[in-house]
Amino acid sequence: MDFLLRIEESGFSQWVRGADSLFAFPGILLLHTLGMGLVVGINATFDLRILGFAPAVRLRAFKKFFPVMWIGFWINAITGTILLAVNATKLTRNPDFYVKLAFIALAVINVQLLRRSAFVTPAANDETAPSARMKLLAVTSLIFWIGAITSGRLLAYVGRSTGVF
Amino acid sequence: MNSEHIHLLLNHLPTIGFGIGLALFVVALLAKQSELQKAALVIFFLAAAVTIITYVSGNDAREVLKKAPGISDPLIEAHESAALVALLFMELTGFFSWIGLWIWGRQARFARWNAGIILILATLAFVLMSRAAYFGGAIRHPETEAAQAIPLDPSVPTLARAWGLFVQDNSWVWPACETLHFIGLCLLFGTVLIVNLRMMGIGKTMLSFTALRQLLPLGMLGFTINLVTGMMFFVATPEQYTGYLFLLKMALIVAGALNLLYFMLSKAPGVVRDGDAAGIGTKLIAVSAIVIWMAVVFCGHMLPWLGNSF
Repeated sequence: MDFLLRIEESGFSQWVRGADSLFAFPGILLLHTLGMGLVVGINATFDLRILGFAPAVRLRAFKKFFPVMWIGFWINAITGTILLAVNATKLTRNPDFYVKLAFIALAVINVQLLRRSAFVTPAANDETAPSARMKLLAVTSLIFWIGAITSGRLLAYVGRSTGVF
Repeated sequence: MNSEHIHLLLNHLPTIGFGIGLALFVVALLAKQSELQKAALVIFFLAAAVTIITYVSGNDAREVLKKAPGISDPLIEAHESAALVALLFMELTGFFSWIGLWIWGRQARFARWNAGIILILATLAFVLMSRAAYFGGAIRHPETEAAQAIPLDPSVPTLARAWGLFVQDNSWVWPACETLHFIGLCLLFGTVLIVNLRMMGIGKTMLSFTALRQLLPLGMLGFTINLVTGMMFFVATPEQYTGYLFLLKMALIVAGALNLLYFMLSKAPGVVRDGDAAGIGTKLIAVSAIVIWMAVVFCGHMLPWLGNSF
């Protein structure tokens, strides 16, 4: 706990929390939102394509968009760590925060499994329809991301941290 | 110029501009002129986009008028609720018009049904918008007989107030709408990113524009979720959304609508096949699309810090 408090009270954390600058808390939170748009946006489109939406879009084409998704993921890993640091003692005591982390972990494992089925397995190509396993993984992926977004948004309401956000 | 002027500048578009679109649509249906019909659908779609700014700028006009003498607040509230109902039908017309543009040249039977739906919705939207304009005109002209004929009962909450009370009395509504607003953002971003990054060259060997076109309804679904949830916030607490930042956000949405129309109507992106590089004009417009939608998120996100929310 002492460790968390020291992070929370470090000069950097105090600047992020208190500075009257758009690059501090507002900017970091904005990047967290845009990063979410990159990761979940592309992943959800990939999931829906597997479930039969937009059949003319080749499944293998998504391979080229995975790096964009990973950029979003790393933006959020970094900004998320900062947002945790500035509120360390409260967030680590909030059960909803662990629910969010669990959903993200599941979603990341899920997308790796799906990537392997879609791009790595030799049998997978655009002529064959996605297997039942892939469709199931696409459904769970959507559920995990909706769970992550919902629990993340509710962090502002469950065991309130700073202000409304 | 203050933001009240924006309402005065834009408030004739939903009635007169939309009316011209409706006349064009009726003529096109009677004369079986398909290109004219397409033009009317474009007008409906754009009018639906611009009407969002007209609606939200009314809020700024109200703030200004609060200080003016001789202005009836119940009349403003009646105008607000009339405009809200009209906006709903205007957006529905815009939504079905967009579907009409999306299926253009395909699925002839569905297109005929859709044209019928649009005709009904557009007529209702026009009538309701004229009613809203009539109430609105009376605000500044209370001496006219027309203004005095409007029945007002301040003890009965108007539609907009009842809507606001619903949101305020049910504590789950706000966070639920916020969560949906984020989910809608993700859906919209998925489509915006894939379509426009492809036009910039990512994954071009495997994606034609014809394939990308199939993704567009997903982006439209995301936008629709966000328009509905956004209106839940706006109608419930309009005082939070005054000022330039929110108007800028709405203006950027209109820019996003224009951007989408370029991809749907122009020949240049339409002929992009597997492996083709898009032209430089299309590439620039693709970059602008990503910038526009990120700027929309910026404006919404910064409301508590740069605007006057919360």
